[in-house]
Amino acid sequence: MARFDTLIHQPVRLRIMAALGALPEGAQLDFGALRDMLQVTDGNLATHLRKLEDAGYITVEKTFVGRRPRTYIALTPKGRQAFTEHVEALREILGE
Amino acid sequence: MTERPISPEEARESLELVEATMRQMQRAVVHAGTPYFFLIWGVVWTLGFGSTQVLGPESSLVGVVWMVLDALGAIASFVVGWRVATRLRHPLYSPTIGLFWLTWIAYAALIIYFAQPQSSDQLSLLISLFAMFGYVVTGIFLRSRFLIGLGVALTVVIIGGYLFFLAYYNLWMAVFGGGSLIAVGLYMRYAWR
Repeated sequence: MARFDTLIHQPVRLRIMAALGALPEGAQLDFGALRDMLQVTDGNLATHLRKLEDAGYITVEKTFVGRRPRTYIALTPKGRQAFTEHVEALREILGE
Repeated sequence: MTERPISPEEARESLELVEATMRQMQRAVVHAGTPYFFLIWGVVWTLGFGSTQVLGPESSLVGVVWMVLDALGAIASFVVGWRVATRLRHPLYSPTIGLFWLTWIAYAALIIYFAQPQSSDQLSLLISLFAMFGYVVTGIFLRSRFLIGLGVALTVVIIGGYLFFLAYYNLWMAVFGGGSLIAVGLYMRYAWR
């Protein structure tokens, strides 16, 4: 039976995981692009990202592009596995 | 009997949220620059082929017009590509695709130079077919059925125009080649929001 993940199930975190899960493996998404897409505040997004990072589900990399600071977020293999299992668990609840 | 952590209704809502978010991500970020690439090259084709039809294929001005349009198109594409690359970093994306297009341009130029097309229509045909080859291969790289389908469909349009409407080939290409790219770009820009 697939594992239902209470950490992922919170709606904002579920959308973060879904957004990152839609990217090809190894892709990193800009913090601003994720914030704009989810329509959340910087602080709200950062809080949820920290929880996912603490669980080892995502990586957060701070870098510079030219002279501008950028933060890139990516799903880890562990995070992708947890997200896949969580979606599977939701489907099992629906009997699919 | 296994205890369910949430109700089926909540599970359905969560799944819908997941699917909507994944779809939105595909459109908002993965394909972020795509509409602009289509619009840029649609305008280049429409203006380029349109002026070729108006000025006459043998006019010395035609080469200059195409050179200027291609240079503007390349610069605009670079700017769009750069903006997309800062939003989404992926080892497969910018370096590989960029290198592919550079190689493609170099080999297309070499092949056309040595093949020595016998008319300006043949030259247009070759360049357009090379462009579509690029679309299809890029589609294969990015696993985009849409890009592959568009490349194949436009290839049919290009060859159809050359075989059946040769007298109006440049006009054909301006309207159906450039026009299709602009239409696709506009559709993606407004429907994929």
